[in-house]
Amino acid sequence: MAEAAAASVKAPGDELWVRDDVDLAEWYLAQPWSDGLPVIVPTEEKVADVVEALGGEPDFVECKVPPRMGSLTRQVLAINIVLAGAKPEYAPVVRAALVAMADARLNLNALQASTHMAAPLVIVNGPIRRSIGMNAGCNLFGPGNRANATIGRAIRLVMLTAGGGIAGELDKATLGHPGKYTYCIAENEEQSPWAPYHVEQGYRPEDSTVFVIPAEAPHSVTNHVANDPQGILDSMVSAMSTIASNPAVAGGACAVILGVEHAKMIAAHGWRRADVRAYLWSNAGNTFGELSFNHRYGKVYNRSLPIWCKREPDSFIPIVARPEDIHLFVAGGAAGRFSAFIPGWGNYATPVLRPIDSAQATAANCIDGTCAL
Amino acid sequence: MPQRIFDPCGIVEASAKPLAPRAQDLAGKRLAVLDNTKWNGAKLLDAVVARLSQDVRFAQVNRYKKETFTKPAAPELLREIAANNDLAVIAIAD
Repeated sequence: MAEAAAASVKAPGDELWVRDDVDLAEWYLAQPWSDGLPVIVPTEEKVADVVEALGGEPDFVECKVPPRMGSLTRQVLAINIVLAGAKPEYAPVVRAALVAMADARLNLNALQASTHMAAPLVIVNGPIRRSIGMNAGCNLFGPGNRANATIGRAIRLVMLTAGGGIAGELDKATLGHPGKYTYCIAENEEQSPWAPYHVEQGYRPEDSTVFVIPAEAPHSVTNHVANDPQGILDSMVSAMSTIASNPAVAGGACAVILGVEHAKMIAAHGWRRADVRAYLWSNAGNTFGELSFNHRYGKVYNRSLPIWCKREPDSFIPIVARPEDIHLFVAGGAAGRFSAFIPGWGNYATPVLRPIDSAQATAANCIDGTCAL
Repeated sequence: MPQRIFDPCGIVEASAKPLAPRAQDLAGKRLAVLDNTKWNGAKLLDAVVARLSQDVRFAQVNRYKKETFTKPAAPELLREIAANNDLAVIAIAD
């Protein structure tokens, strides 16, 4: 048994021990992978409880986490979950999100290293939201809910530890954004006028899923005056039509979070999810002249935009290439005429929807999943 | 009682790959120039090639492009570069 003072952690099998006068909370906080916030100190019992919640087999490798490609065994995942302050019952959500992020479509290797600020935004659907007490309502992007806060934090800690996405080393973000501490919410299925997102995508209402999209920070969409879909959505169109976001210059995907009041007003006029997406896609974007600064800095083609886009000065370039690249959710408190636009990272990644545990998507029998309710 | 530390980082399985030997002389070599397609990458490479060409007469200067700057170059592209060139210059420029 080593009696060395605090030092760098060695490989598993070569356990590190520190003297009994070392403050473990301070020791973990001083590590290069720290997120800067105090942690819950892992113990044999706490880690074992989380491993059990993950199905046992502590050496089972769930995935490897880019860019460092650290092996995310259940033991390692459990340590991160404990450090984050998450409960064992949150563990399946954290695992599903990380396995989704290890999917090649999400391109986590580049996302972690990017100079852009994007962070993976995780949105949870299905009954697990309620069983673990997630907040889908008032102030859901803000503080106050342990599940939202610590699931997102555990995901970020894994990106820092197994993934090696440490600022200035493998994470080269120029600015980052506050969602890189934690960025996890749930859809407000109970208050939504439409079928939940995952049901629209072919899952059953009793299935639980995680959706992961590399994303900028939320941008408020305020509209207290419109009493029809067009008026509300024109405010969203305005938020989406900036030339400054990554989707403007590189397409990809984005998320639209409709507040409950806005969603109910839109649905009361007979509009469905697909109608909202189509309206936003048809109207949100920029002219090629705006995107190219009218060639003020040299002739621009922009290979990141779809090949089929006309590149005349007055050509309209939609903010994303297809209506289905706008991922629409209903969330937030019952009161307040606010929604949010969340730009994605560009066409470098495709968002991933993944079941939590064993759910399987089956084709819905109707256009938007409403028939499954 | 000593206290156990729990490692949250996980192990990395990797094998060491040696660097290729450095070229001793640039003259007469075939130079590959790989554009990663970032906004200003080609401009930077143009400047590098122009500067090098003031001092060195290359046998060939062959230009290549990655499919996207966010992913590694395709294996077939790397094989082609390795087969047909003696040197490679790669640049990243936001």
